[in-house]
Amino acid sequence: MIDVKKLWRKRRNAHLTQTLKYFSLMANSGLIVSLILLIIVGSIYYAKLLKALPQDFPAVLILTVLFSFLLTKSAIRTLLKEGDLVFLLPVESGMKHYFSQSLSSAIASGSFVTLFVFTLTWPIVQVFITDGWKMYVTFAFFLIAAKVFNLYVAWEERRLPYKSYQLNYKIMRFIVNFVYVYLLFNEAYVFLIAMFAIMYVLKNFVFEVFKKMHGYQWEMLLAEEQTLKLKGYRLVNYFTDVPALKQTVHKRPLLNMLGTFSFKKKNMMPALFMKTFTRSGDYFGLYIRLILIGFLFLYLVPPGWWQLAVAVLFFQMLTLQLFTLYTQYKWNVIFNIYPIESNVKVTAFMKWLRGLLLFQGLLYGVFYGVLTGDWLIALLMPAAALVYSLLRLPSLTKKHITLSS
Amino acid sequence: MKPILEVSDLTGGYMPNQPVIHNLNFSVKESEIVGLIGLNGAGKSTTIKHILGLMEPMSGSSKILEQTFRDEPEIYRSQFTYIPEIPILYDELTLWEHLELTAMAYGLEEQTFLARVRPLLEEFRMDNKIKWFPNQFSKGMKQKVMILCALLVEPKLYIVDEPFVGLDPLGIQSFLEYMVTFKNSGAGVLMSTHILSTAERYCDRFLILHEGRLVLSGTLEELRERSGLTDATLDEIYLYVARGKVT
Repeated sequence: MIDVKKLWRKRRNAHLTQTLKYFSLMANSGLIVSLILLIIVGSIYYAKLLKALPQDFPAVLILTVLFSFLLTKSAIRTLLKEGDLVFLLPVESGMKHYFSQSLSSAIASGSFVTLFVFTLTWPIVQVFITDGWKMYVTFAFFLIAAKVFNLYVAWEERRLPYKSYQLNYKIMRFIVNFVYVYLLFNEAYVFLIAMFAIMYVLKNFVFEVFKKMHGYQWEMLLAEEQTLKLKGYRLVNYFTDVPALKQTVHKRPLLNMLGTFSFKKKNMMPALFMKTFTRSGDYFGLYIRLILIGFLFLYLVPPGWWQLAVAVLFFQMLTLQLFTLYTQYKWNVIFNIYPIESNVKVTAFMKWLRGLLLFQGLLYGVFYGVLTGDWLIALLMPAAALVYSLLRLPSLTKKHITLSS
Repeated sequence: MKPILEVSDLTGGYMPNQPVIHNLNFSVKESEIVGLIGLNGAGKSTTIKHILGLMEPMSGSSKILEQTFRDEPEIYRSQFTYIPEIPILYDELTLWEHLELTAMAYGLEEQTFLARVRPLLEEFRMDNKIKWFPNQFSKGMKQKVMILCALLVEPKLYIVDEPFVGLDPLGIQSFLEYMVTFKNSGAGVLMSTHILSTAERYCDRFLILHEGRLVLSGTLEELRERSGLTDATLDEIYLYVARGKVT
């Protein structure tokens, strides 16, 4: 017998553990450093932007639209799994506790996100609407109250049997939210109290009624949970490998040339690596991202010899990430039984990786040269790629591929 | 007839001192199809993995044309192709690229490849799908890609693990016809399957594995003799063995 009462706690703990694990992987990937850098750069530009905005900037309207969307969009992680459709369906009546806990946790995280976004927009509020910590607290309070209301009724809304019905009520909520936020930013508190009355009526006499009329829409809840989960995975996937995420294949016909080799036995492995690389969603995207982030660093760090170290840092990041392309084949029997010796396979892999590194170095060189006019250091960048691939790459390969297989 | 594959005293498994297969002795000769049959967990896949050179024997050996994998890995592996039970494809490669890369890996000349590949594609009705990616294929079509890759090379030995599941009847027929053709031109086939009626019609000899041991082997006639079941079908003999009546 499933103990439904403990189930939520168990699932939430598993979810938290997984999130933390992925978070530490993200922090390790080195890309998080560049994110922090982006935030710093972003905040500088934010301050500049605020000064540059005209006096008649429609701040109230823009903030109203932003928060109306934010309040209306009420995602609830139920942590349901596919098997639940079979195993939990019989204990549906006992699920009340489970879902009320998932709603509470959605309210907690939803309130946090609302507060976070409001804090981000606070500088705009300060310049165009009002200032003072009392106002910050007041606005935050009203926004969070609205978020709680939205999540609560959005949960009841999820009992409606068709997407289109749900959408109608969602639109209604959007209108209510819009008026509410608009009144709030105009500081019309009397009207705001009237809005509370309307929300009260809606909650008790419209949304509560669904509870009596409909059960849970299991399949829709599950579909929503899976969409939310995938979204999270996709975000993490920018930084590290997510095994649960089925990798997508892109045809990219323009890159076909790169994977075309003459019909010889020795070209088989390079062709396989190149084709996998150019068509995979993750490896190719990663290469482009690393090159672009590298450009950003070359741009931000003051010019000088140390820029070569920046380039080498990015060679290292690329190398470490691309090793998974080889280990991906480790469980492929067909790959393993080709009449090609394993050291030949590994050498081919290294050669292929060297090509990518050289190209990366070349791009950095050109970028740096054009940026600073210092063509000596620019020229040394592809040279550094070559040296790196000759000195560091073999030992790394040994550590990550030969020893792991 | 010359033996192509010779397995002698082969013992092996996944953990030291816990062998899954015990002292297997058998061979696959030129121009012969040998059926490897046994219940789930009898050790068929483990046996095949040892022959492929993916597992190291605890004792005994598996030789192809008198060489073990340890002696000459590249030569050993170029003598056979393998059709796995579950099709394993490269998600990023088209059907054509699978065939092309396989041909390259086995050192075929481009002319030979082009001459062989067209009739194969037509026979398995895949000729209009050469630009497709694996995610567009059904299970049966993926199985066909594996079969095409294996047949393309025309090696001395074919190792086939349960080829019929998911394959349409026409596909099964085409595959069997190819097997017979290659057999008649001197190749050997080791085929593991649960479809006993098909095995009975196409295999020249049978190896019946039970709990990691070879309990019965030989032609259908010899199996009948050894089990004492005259006029029995392969099905009946197999059930008899599987219930532990032969030791």
